[in-house]
Amino acid sequence: MSSVSSEESSNIVEPYALPLSKQDEWKDVTPLEQEDGQFPICPIAYTDKYKEMMDYMRAAMAAGEVSERAYRLTSDVLKKNPGHYTVWVYRKKLIEELHLDIEDELAWLESIAEMYPKNYQSWHHREVIVCMLLDPQILADMPQDQRVCHSVIRRELSFLANVIDEDSKNFHAWSYRQWLVRRYGIWEQEKVFINTMIDQDVRNNSAWNQRYFVLVQGDTSGNASIDDGVLQAEIDYAVEVIKRAPNNESPWSYIVGMLLRHAPEKLYKELLSRIQQLSNDASYGQAAKSSPFYWSALVDIYESRAAKEDSDAREKTLDLARSACTALATDHDPTRMKYWEYRQTTLV
Amino acid sequence: MVDLAIDKHVRYFRYALNMLPSLMTQLDATRMTLGHLCLVGLAALGQLDTAISADERKGIVEWIYAQQVQPTGDNAAYCGFRGGSLFGPHGACKYAASNMANVAATYSALAALVLLGDDLSRVNRRAIIGALRHVQLPSGTFAPHPGTTESDPRFIYCACAISTLLGDWSGVDRDRATAYIAGCVGIDGGLSQVPLQESHGGHLYCCVASLQLMGRLDALPSRARTLHWALMRAGRGYQGRANKPSDVCYSFWVGASVEILGGHAMVDADALAAFTLECESPYGGVAKCPGATPDPLHSALGIVGLGFFHPELPRISPALLLPEAVVERVCKGRQ
Repeated sequence: MSSVSSEESSNIVEPYALPLSKQDEWKDVTPLEQEDGQFPICPIAYTDKYKEMMDYMRAAMAAGEVSERAYRLTSDVLKKNPGHYTVWVYRKKLIEELHLDIEDELAWLESIAEMYPKNYQSWHHREVIVCMLLDPQILADMPQDQRVCHSVIRRELSFLANVIDEDSKNFHAWSYRQWLVRRYGIWEQEKVFINTMIDQDVRNNSAWNQRYFVLVQGDTSGNASIDDGVLQAEIDYAVEVIKRAPNNESPWSYIVGMLLRHAPEKLYKELLSRIQQLSNDASYGQAAKSSPFYWSALVDIYESRAAKEDSDAREKTLDLARSACTALATDHDPTRMKYWEYRQTTLV
Repeated sequence: MVDLAIDKHVRYFRYALNMLPSLMTQLDATRMTLGHLCLVGLAALGQLDTAISADERKGIVEWIYAQQVQPTGDNAAYCGFRGGSLFGPHGACKYAASNMANVAATYSALAALVLLGDDLSRVNRRAIIGALRHVQLPSGTFAPHPGTTESDPRFIYCACAISTLLGDWSGVDRDRATAYIAGCVGIDGGLSQVPLQESHGGHLYCCVASLQLMGRLDALPSRARTLHWALMRAGRGYQGRANKPSDVCYSFWVGASVEILGGHAMVDADALAAFTLECESPYGGVAKCPGATPDPLHSALGIVGLGFFHPELPRISPALLLPEAVVERVCKGRQ
């Protein structure tokens, strides 16, 4: 559900317009009033303007009217209530049947996104419009650096940069971004974007997630093969970012999760020594050793190693994992004390 | 005993059921969900029977049934319940798509009806189950209604809850829905709305609760890692994603997932209670975070999430967001 805070301010900036009942354009239409029954639940104290708009909207929709005036009315209604799912479907029908200029549609959607950045329907409508504007086949033979110069792509990337600049963790914007990158095959610019975003805020988990999306080039099978050199570079990168702020869940969760899925042996063959070095470092060691994410990573790493060892070595490794759990339960993550105590009992 | 301002919250939910301010106009098409959540909130406080009179109860039931879209020949995909009264009870529309139900509202309508003790005898079961088949996509996920590219586990969950409440799973291809959910498990063990997107507490709930209702929890590649992800969201309250502030609605979205995944005993219930009480509005209702304005969603979900740890409050089913007593009544005699 989206927030409700932006609605009031939009009332203030709205230009004056005649009521629909006084407009010549609508004089042939009998408005259709809402029938809300005797005991409506959660009735809303509609403004007179919204009520009138809806009465005309209802009349047009009931008749299935296909006209530019109906299209303009959907613009006004959705500005007041972007959650009207039926009105969105109707608007799409009008665009298709009237062959309307959909370039304008994007500008209008930008005004909606400004008021309601977390409204699901407007983001999905944007997808539909961009699909109409640009067939991926047109870009298929172009190198990626030329694809991003196409006017539609350029516009989308700049729109997204603005929304993400406003709220760097807007779930809808990142989701739409994945859709766009995948559909038009623009992975190279995304690598640059992600590095910039993480550099600006190492705690931006949305950006870390996008890093994995780009790493596997959108492969959803879970077993994309990743070059050894690339894995190594990712370990280096994550460790460098951890140094900047060791008590930051995102890089820990990224590197441990990624290796668990794609190269579990690298957890104990590569990552373990790197984080041990980190914990002994004069500048970062203390901070690392008081971070619950450091200890939690150790539990995962030792657990993975133990699974590959025979009984003697295995027992020693499990001991290390169990003492990491103790450190978490008693010193570093007391909120989850009972979880770490439980986790310890699973290490057998 | 938790020191919740029960009387004030009852007043808050009653007030919301009776009138919402114009600044909530953007929720006009989701009034069914708002009403449902107010009833859930009252039930979670153990006050539903006393707070709503018999006449009011009858009135609410009538309003809900007035939102049912019945088959008229060319609208099989649009049947179910609407989110609000865009059209009257008989929906006189020449253009069928204008009178359109959606899966989320259908779920809320059925849940609200059973909360109010209705026997669902006026529900057109066949039409609802038939409409579900129109909105499940080849990937296994569900759209809320035809004619949109919107689709994600929120609507898988609604379809699973509808199937459970109606005792009929013939509208859901469970294998495909399960496969879709398994594909949403991230490298961190959390769940997202689309494969490879960021793990999110709301989608975690929709996925885990759907699997539970389908009897397919084993489809999670590692239940332990998913539980780990969920528990890592706990601070004072729960956050919805890594490195985000706590928000009271995740007391339910993440908290109920933890319940389903078997982590109840591992939660710091005192910290959760302290956070929830900080989010209580002095005028009733619970806000997303301290100092914010309350709304029915955060109020109901905050109270339910807290209630998992307070046996003096009615036990709510984590997978169905209904009192266990209601679930038992609705599902009795079925397996």
